Amino acid sequence: MFYRQSGIRHRSYVSDSKLFPIPMDRNLVLFLFLLGLAAPLLIDTLYLNSYVLPWLIWTAAALGLNLVTGWAGQLHLGYAAIMAVGAYSAVHAARFGIPWEFALLIAGLASAAIGSVFAFAAMRVKGLYLALTTLAMQFVMDWVLSHVPAITGGSHASLQSPPFKLLGQPITSDAGLYYVAFGWCVIVTIFVLNMRRTGLGRALVAVREKDYAAAILGVNSLYYKIVAFATSSFIAGITGALLVVTFFFLASPEQFSVTVSVQVLAMVIVGGLASIIGSYLGAALILLMPGFANSLFSATADFLGWQMDPETLAHIPNAAYGALIIIFLMVEPLGLGKIYNNIRDYFLVWPFDQMKK
Amino acid sequence: MANDTMTSSAASLSGSPLAGMTLPRLLMRNATEYASEIAMREKDRGIWQELTWADYGEEVIKCAAGLDALGVGSENAMLILGDNRIRLYAGMVAMTMLRGYAMPTYSGATLAELQHFANEVPMAAALAEDQEHVDKVLDLRAAGCDIPYIIYDEERGLNDYDVPGLLSWTELLEKGAANLAANKDLRDRLITQSTPEDPAVFMHSSGTTGKPKGIVLSQRNVISAAWSAYEGGGFGEKEDVLAYLPLAWVGDYALTVAAAITYRFTVNVPERQETVLRDLREIAPTFYLAAPRSWDNILTTIQVGIENSTRLKKGLYHFFMDRAVAAQRRKLDGKSESGLDWLWRRLGEWIIFGPIKDQFGLDRVAHAFTGGEAMGEDTFVFYRALGIKLRQLYGQTENSAFNAIQSADEVQLHTVGRPLPGVEIKITDDGEILVKAESVFDGYFNNPEATAETLRDGWLHSGDAGYLEEDGHLVVLGRVSEVVRTAAGERFVPNYIENRLKFSPYIRDAAVVGSGRDELVAMVCIDFEAVGHWAEVNGVPYVSYADLSQRKEVAGLLKQAFLRVNTALPETLRLHRFVSLHKEFDPDDGEITRTRKLRRKVVEERYAPVITALYDGSPTVHMTAIVTYETGETSKVERTLLVWEV
Repeated sequence: MFYRQSGIRHRSYVSDSKLFPIPMDRNLVLFLFLLGLAAPLLIDTLYLNSYVLPWLIWTAAALGLNLVTGWAGQLHLGYAAIMAVGAYSAVHAARFGIPWEFALLIAGLASAAIGSVFAFAAMRVKGLYLALTTLAMQFVMDWVLSHVPAITGGSHASLQSPPFKLLGQPITSDAGLYYVAFGWCVIVTIFVLNMRRTGLGRALVAVREKDYAAAILGVNSLYYKIVAFATSSFIAGITGALLVVTFFFLASPEQFSVTVSVQVLAMVIVGGLASIIGSYLGAALILLMPGFANSLFSATADFLGWQMDPETLAHIPNAAYGALIIIFLMVEPLGLGKIYNNIRDYFLVWPFDQMKK
Repeated sequence: MANDTMTSSAASLSGSPLAGMTLPRLLMRNATEYASEIAMREKDRGIWQELTWADYGEEVIKCAAGLDALGVGSENAMLILGDNRIRLYAGMVAMTMLRGYAMPTYSGATLAELQHFANEVPMAAALAEDQEHVDKVLDLRAAGCDIPYIIYDEERGLNDYDVPGLLSWTELLEKGAANLAANKDLRDRLITQSTPEDPAVFMHSSGTTGKPKGIVLSQRNVISAAWSAYEGGGFGEKEDVLAYLPLAWVGDYALTVAAAITYRFTVNVPERQETVLRDLREIAPTFYLAAPRSWDNILTTIQVGIENSTRLKKGLYHFFMDRAVAAQRRKLDGKSESGLDWLWRRLGEWIIFGPIKDQFGLDRVAHAFTGGEAMGEDTFVFYRALGIKLRQLYGQTENSAFNAIQSADEVQLHTVGRPLPGVEIKITDDGEILVKAESVFDGYFNNPEATAETLRDGWLHSGDAGYLEEDGHLVVLGRVSEVVRTAAGERFVPNYIENRLKFSPYIRDAAVVGSGRDELVAMVCIDFEAVGHWAEVNGVPYVSYADLSQRKEVAGLLKQAFLRVNTALPETLRLHRFVSLHKEFDPDDGEITRTRKLRRKVVEERYAPVITALYDGSPTVHMTAIVTYETGETSKVERTLLVWEV
């Protein structure tokens, strides 16, 4: 009904590998992009900066983790640690007087360097063992952050981020901060979108499916594992820095604890491995749903006049939120991105049930 | 009404700017005036390679010059073998430049058929699509035909061929370029030397009765036919067309060569025969001509697809389709569209019809035609309801495919429309349709007897029975030779009833018997895909076509189709019994022609035991059928067939 495909013909392989050959997809993406641009005009600043902005940043983080976990198939439980490296590097660099543009770059490079260390673990171990190894690294990082005052200023200290400037322009307004987060998320999205149609993306998928089979095909799986970890860490570093700069305004160790790592991984898994739209949806579900469930529940409770002790009131939404994740994954184990794809396929073959032979 | 002469208008080709034009001149007009417009697209490894008119003109000239260097000239013929390819089309036009005969053949033609063709005219060369067709030419040589040169398009598999006179298309063009460089006046000579009276193409009659007869269409014939169809609203300029019809069918030549060059169509050549449906969607042509059975096939695919679909989609489809079909029938009865009809049509277009047309690449079709034989009424109404302005077209090979067409908004079920501009139509006393036009050929090749029989005083005796209505619409009933009577004297055309049977998606072919008998009976071949699918869904086990065809459940399915057809037939012409045959009719077995027309005589002879059983009341009949494979080998298929009462 919405997806019209007749008359789409390609006169070159370049056109054949377009990101969105179907007009409907193209228009949808354009619409969402314009919606993103117009968001400061449409959404109240309170909601914009406390919901939409973190959602975009965490989406960028989820996309970065998806690169290594979804595309390259390497389970990673230390993503928050890598983000912390970026955050602290950037803040220190900025405090040292380095312009923010370079500070962000330093954040990315520092994270990429540390993150590549994880790749060496991935050379030796796979699956659950890799998960455990990366988890161990996360704990090491937590320990470093809380025990090396030179970096964090101590276990309970927080590091003030200097005023944010880009290209000489101080960015302090709510809309300005939002656009920085939006811009970064768009850049990461475009990068990951292009993974599908480049040699890098195909090599990563080959490594994911079976690394020694990939090696037989001539794909250097060691090299691509390192590239995957380094690239994803680079994204993590800048995302971590931007999280501090645009949202928290100060860096402290508990922002990057092991729970955060697990949360980002949950975004990726709930969203769907190697799914871009899934990363957006996963981040939304994990990040926004608890607050939403909370307010929905308390509103219902108020409306019905229930009297409950605050303990119960706090836990029921959490239980509902957990149940929701379980339900989504039971309905579609491949994640929210797959649910979106199922809906798209439903309309793609409309009014038939499958592609004709 | 009989004896009426119907001329659509006094206009004729000679009064138009196309008078005195030839295909080479028109091609060169396109190559110079419209150099950058797209003439041809061919899909190669998933990518549409485009050729502008300038490229195409150059390709044809080089090819002609190359053939000239090989000594090919007028009175020579070139055999064209293969599926639709740009180079095969270019080769045909090149032969026209050289005033020779381009002789396209059906890609499934047997050696005997090809031998018959090759012995009609001195063969100077053969243009073959690929190794398979080169091998065919080699077989022809081995059988004694003299074909000095073999040119091939696709080189795969031909590296090690050490055969005299074998050269690739590229080599031919190189020879042509050298020839053009050596002879400065050759280019002009190639463009200007042929006249409108020179041959454009050498076709063959379909041969429903006897051997195919040679039909040479002159350039004046084919250009005039294109002009008539254009003036009659059959197509506009610059249509997008898909070249997928068999090269040897006059409809393909008339469109993708004659009309395409005259009116600057973009001709799209699919990657392979198997990918036609997919390529159709990518191209989304603006003009689409298909035989009724292709339309039937698409209809079957749609119906099977919908049956498999989800409940909601199925429900929506039936909701809108039922209303659209009813509205269409009211419209055909001459009633105007009500506001509600309009609403359902627009909503349906968005929700159901548009997406279906989109799935099949038919959403841009402004000129959709069916031709070759009569089309089932239900199929016709279905497509009109879908919003495709399907029209009937009537013509023969002998007059370059275009006699009469329906106009888009004035469609009646039983007519084929008005005669085209420049075409005169007359009905003889015994009801035969006669045609006079500049597109009518000059006679069968080297066959004066047949010519004398068909062409009298410039009137082409079409062999079709029909009549003209008051408003000038032509009604075609069927072949004159096919109009038969029952023992009671009731006149009927078996083909008409067969087409109605074939509307059922489960019936692929049918043969109705009843001439000189008390009642009508039929033999049908099930559609393996549709019935097979139905059997899977309904849990009917089967192991083969033959097995499936005799299942009791399948007979029940067929019976419903028969009952449905019977309701639309007069009491005396109802079908009483039928047999579901254990093999499909096949052109290789001679039961149908390559265009899938029934060879009634062959079928009635071969299945004589079945026909006897149908009339003597026996419940079963043992039948042995001969199956011919493409290699020419034969084998026997035996089966006890069941006779079913309707």
